[in-house]
Parts: sequence; structure tokens; C-alpha cells
Amino acid sequence: MSEPQTKHKSPYALEVRGLTRSFGSRKILSDVSFKLKRGEILIIMGGSGCGKSTLLRHIIGSLKPDAGEIYIDGTEITKLNDRELSNVRKRFGMLFQTGALFNSLTVGENVALPILESSDVSASIADLVVKLKLELVGLTGFEHLKPAQISGGMKKRVGMARALALDPELLFCDEPTAGLDPVMTAVIDTLTVDLTKKLGLSAVVVTHDMTSAFRIATQMIFLFEGRVIASGTPDEIKNNPDPILQQFINGYADGPIPLKLSKDDYLKRLMQA
Amino acid sequence: MLAFAQLSLEAFVGIFSPIFGQKSWRLSALFSQMVNIGVASLPTVALANFLLGLVLAIQGAGQFEKLGATNMVANLVAFSILREIGPLITAVIVIGRSGSAITAELGTMKVAEEIEALNVMGIDPVKYLVVPRLLAMLLMMPVLTVLGEGVGLFAGWLISVGSLHLDPFFYVQNSIEAVEQKDLFTGLLKALVFGGVVGTVACFYGMQVEGGAEGVGRSTTKSVVTALTSMLAMDAILTTLIYFT
Ligand SMILES: Nc1ncnc2c1ncn2[C@@H]1O[C@H](COP(=O)(O)OP(=O)(O)OP(=O)(O)O)[C@@H](O)[C@H]1O
Ligand SMILES: [Mg+2]
Repeated sequence: MSEPQTKHKSPYALEVRGLTRSFGSRKILSDVSFKLKRGEILIIMGGSGCGKSTLLRHIIGSLKPDAGEIYIDGTEITKLNDRELSNVRKRFGMLFQTGALFNSLTVGENVALPILESSDVSASIADLVVKLKLELVGLTGFEHLKPAQISGGMKKRVGMARALALDPELLFCDEPTAGLDPVMTAVIDTLTVDLTKKLGLSAVVVTHDMTSAFRIATQMIFLFEGRVIASGTPDEIKNNPDPILQQFINGYADGPIPLKLSKDDYLKRLMQA
Repeated sequence: MLAFAQLSLEAFVGIFSPIFGQKSWRLSALFSQMVNIGVASLPTVALANFLLGLVLAIQGAGQFEKLGATNMVANLVAFSILREIGPLITAVIVIGRSGSAITAELGTMKVAEEIEALNVMGIDPVKYLVVPRLLAMLLMMPVLTVLGEGVGLFAGWLISVGSLHLDPFFYVQNSIEAVEQKDLFTGLLKALVFGGVVGTVACFYGMQVEGGAEGVGRSTTKSVVTALTSMLAMDAILTTLIYFT
């Protein structure tokens, strides 16, 4: 659908430099930097609330940073006006953490929306593309249901189909496999890898699912309290001795990550109350 | 205030741009909004106008009886419904019913990241969501007002003929003599302006929502209050401009 991009300005599909952002007095992102080569998959890991979704929001231009730059294929996007930004966004596909499907539209209409809005294709061609994309995520035959009538995991997959509707060059996924069963997770993982290998798409994926992360990643970064504390290939990450990182990827309850849980005995507190 | 002005400007540009040959309106979206705002509000608008027509006639009769001029009820009803009560009560009903619904709907979309998703897809939320709603408001408010005024006048006639025993034909003739064409048109002008005010205010507060379901509730309340006060302010301004100068 989008014109084939023959020449690229930069070998990096995405580059983030010194990104810093506070909400009020709380610093959510501080000095975040990383690069993503074309055709690769970058995994962003980090505890709940550490700023992963906020980071994605900056990259897609929904939020403006306090400091730092974001380059999409060599173009700095934090200072673009709405029209210029909307041109850059034509190359994006984004799967939101909550799916962000339009509740008043059916599943099929949701996937068709970006297609019909971006070009003058006929409804029958759009229909065909919708069927194709829904097939990719294993949802053939669900076109006519409303988002309220499908499960959480299905919404995620519809979101994925919609993100892929215009064959983006850059795909952003916020926890694409949260709420999916192991088989469906593998299907989505394979799909992401296929897209990057066969179509040269680059992807940024936020995930908590370590199996899935190590299965698809070519690059990984680990965010902790708004900073990148580790980055590298999956092997480098696995062998990184940082105790915080090791606790996270191995999923131990005991370790240096502060949990902000009460140490008091739950039963005792109940009795006191 | 600046943000409000910007949104209104963008929305009005969006409404007029199809006239200058850029992309057409989303007719299906416009149509469904017209049904939402117009057709669905019609019963309540009619009821409110009917009741006010009754009340006006009864109140008027009480006063005019003392002067021995009950036939003046026709003048009072026609005059006040067309100039003031019809546009006003119709706008009040539309604010409560459709203005609040627009704010709540857009606000819910904002909270569910749907507006952000539109932006990322390169779809302008103002053109896609605000323009059809505002345009529907601008079109339906005058239509609802005319229909409401008809019902209000009928209610006045009903009381006058039924319980004041005025001559039905004479009453109509009296009404027609009491008002000028100007009264009908100023009423419609008011309705159009009210439609614009309610539409922009409702959409603005919807797009402003921050922070979950609670935020939707808060914005909806603000939207209704602001729409009511600005509608009344516009009414005062227009009345002054039209009848005092
Ligand atoms: N609009 C906002 N205003 C104020 N604070 C915000 C806003 N958006 C996010 N935050 C704060 O930023 C922090 C990071 O939020 P974010 O949604 O990016 O986390 P996350 O890493 O995606 O978490 P999760 O894994 O649970 O999705 C949170 O502490 C949140 O309270
Ligand atoms: Mg998140």
C-alpha cells in the first residue's frame, strides 16, 4: 500500500538519543538512548510502571520529550509539526497495550479503517486486505463482531492486524502477547520474525514474556527506574552479570529490585484491622 | 481558551473545506450523528415545547383576564415561543441529551487511546470525529427548533380554544398578526448559533478528557455547564444586537 521506500537516509530505522521526560516532579525517563537497525527486532524490557509505554508514546510522537532526540530513518521527529509528523507516521504500525480498537466499529471495519482513510482503494480491495491480515493473526471469520464481543487476547490480535494493515516499515508493539495462550504467542512471535526477515520490517516490542523476548529479539534493552541499565544482543543480556537484570529475566522474588511491598504478615494486619 | 479557539477553527475549516473541493464529508458519519442528535432528541424537544406552550397560555390568560383581553394570549404565545422560548428550551434539551453524550463518547475514546490510535494512523481526529458532530449540531438545532416551536404554538392554541373558549380561527389570525417574519428568522439564527456553541463546547471537553472514567464524568459536567452558560450568554448578545439596535 505504501510506496516502496527505495533509498534510506540512515542505516538505522530508529535512533533515540538522551530522551528525558518528567510528569510533574516525577522523572519517568532519563537519558534513554538506543539504536535499531533496519530489519531487526528490539525488545524493551522492564518492570511494570518503569516507563515502557511512555517511551513508545514518545517514539510515535504522541508525547514530546523534555530533552533528547528521536530519529526515524534519520529524520528528527520531536520538532516536526502535525502535518510533517503525520507523514512520518504513515510508515508506522502501532499495537497499543490496551488494543485501542474503535468500539463503535466491527473487527473488520477496525482493520479496514487505516486502509480506507489513507488511499482511494475500493471497498472490495480493502475487504480482501482485511481478510488477509485477520488470517495472519488467526482471526478468520470474526470480521463482523464488535470489540466488546471478543476476548482480551483476540482484541490484541485485531490490534496487531490493524497495525499491519498498511504494511508498515516500523512496527511498535506494546505487550503483543499479554493475555495470549502459549500457542498463539508463538504464532504472533513467528509472524513478527517473518515480517522482519521477509519484508525488511523493523520492530520495537515491549514485553514481559521472557520466552517470547529471547525467541524473537535481535537487540534488547532493559529499563529500570527510567534508565537503560543494560542493552545488547540476547546472548549479551543473558550473560550480563547485573543482579537486577538477572533477577528480572529469571523471575526471582528475592533480589535487588525494590518491590515496595509490606513486609508485615498479612494475617496479622488483618487481625489488627 | 486558546486550545478551544484552535479546535473550533480547525473544525469550521473542516466543515467548509469540502465546499472548496477538498475531500467530501463523511456522509455516513454525518447521517448517523444527525440521527443521534436530531431524531433521538425530537420526542423530548417536542414534549418540553408542548409543556411550555401550555404554561405560557395559562399564565398569560390569568393576567389578560384582569384586563378583559384574553384574546391577547395568542400574541403572547406566538411572540415568546418564536423569539425566545422555542430556541432556548430546544437548546437546553439538546445540551442535556446530545451535548453531554458527545463529550462522554469522545472522552471515552480519548481514555481508551482511540484518539491516539487515529493520530498514529494519520487520521485527523478533528476531521474524523469533530466535524460530523459539529455539522450535525448546526443542521439539526434549527430543524428541532422549528418543530419544537410548532408543537409549542399548538399547545397554546389547544389551551386557548379548549379552556379559554377563544375562537380557534381568530386565535390563529391573531398569532399571525402578532409576529413578523423577522421573529421567525431571528429564532432560527439563534438556533444555528446555539448549535455551533453546543457542538464546539461538547467536542472540546470530550477531546480534553484526562485520567480514566472519572475524568470522563468530570469533563461531561463541565461541558454541560459551559454549554448552558455560553448558550445563555449568546442569547443575551443576539437579542441585544437584533432588537436593541
Ligand atoms: N499522562 C501521564 N501523567 C502522569 N504520569 C504518567 C502519565 N503516563 C504515565 N505516567 C507515569 O509514568 C510511569 C510509567 O508508565 P508507563 O505506562 O510507561 O509504564 P509501563 O512501563 O508501560 O508499565 P506496564 O508494564 O505496567 O505497562 C507510571 O508511573 C505512570 O504513573
Ligand atoms: Mg505499558
